[in-house]
Amino acid sequence: MSGRDDDRKGIARELKRGSLELIVLHLLSLGEAYGYEIVTTLTERTNGGLEVTDGTLYPVLYRLERAGFVAVRWETPQRGVPRKYYRLTEAGQEELGRLTHEWSTFANAMAQLLRQQPERT
Amino acid sequence: MNADQVYIDRVIAQLPLDAGLRTQVEMELRSHIAERVEHGQSVEEALTHLGDPIVLAESYLAAIPLIAAPFWPRAAARLIDAFGVLALVAMPIIAFVVLTLWREQGFLIPIAIIVTIFIVSILGALYPVIAEYRYGKTVGKHLMGLRVVRESGARISFGQSVVRQLPMLTQVWWIDMLFALFTDKHQRAFEILSKTRVVVAREEQS
Repeated sequence: MSGRDDDRKGIARELKRGSLELIVLHLLSLGEAYGYEIVTTLTERTNGGLEVTDGTLYPVLYRLERAGFVAVRWETPQRGVPRKYYRLTEAGQEELGRLTHEWSTFANAMAQLLRQQPERT
Repeated sequence: MNADQVYIDRVIAQLPLDAGLRTQVEMELRSHIAERVEHGQSVEEALTHLGDPIVLAESYLAAIPLIAAPFWPRAAARLIDAFGVLALVAMPIIAFVVLTLWREQGFLIPIAIIVTIFIVSILGALYPVIAEYRYGKTVGKHLMGLRVVRESGARISFGQSVVRQLPMLTQVWWIDMLFALFTDKHQRAFEILSKTRVVVAREEQS
């Protein structure tokens, strides 16, 4: 693989890393979910364009929980291991609004820049 | 032992000796692995999705901000440890030696004191190495509300614990200590070298 390919993957990874909290908050705004549900919903809704590993997602959920943006509850089935459900809090809703605005501003600015044609001399 | 338990143990081993955090991460991992198994995947597949256990532990720890320990509490912790070793080890040995040899073999007292100083020096050097590796803190640091971690917040290794204490075996340990006054994270030179730091052990961390 060339260095350029590595760079492109690196950019995609950095973009995803930077927007992971926004992604998770948005998915939780659709309704309460458990970890595996969040991973599969993301893959389904983006046709695999955005995928996240469990090892990346769970620390983000932990961070959001600590920040008070996400509330959790444990559901203990009759058999098996207790399952942890995540849902958005009011503070999380506000954070989602803020991050969405930031992302839209950035995406619009990039789109505007990339639409510009080179000036002919 | 099952593969999932081995994996969880490896993650937990990186976390500070904190019942709350360890218990929470263990419960979460067990739950997340079970979710994938319930959806028809094997434990091995579930573990592959979780990735390297050390990276995962460090990702969890990244959510907890580390507060650099100020210089003076660190100095106080060092003094407490030094006096502790003197009071609990040196003084009783010296008292025992003097009382035992006083009447008949008084000439042996200076030799016994030299041997005692040697033993105390060895213990004084070994104690922080073992305590910081095993518990993340010495008694002095515990009393001052401090603990030793890697740059990532994970537990330090035995090698790191040894490197941290190397300057104490030399005559220039005070130069190493002075670094803590001027570096961003209040790190000694050998802490920078060993990629460790001393942080405030806050409520949610400990």
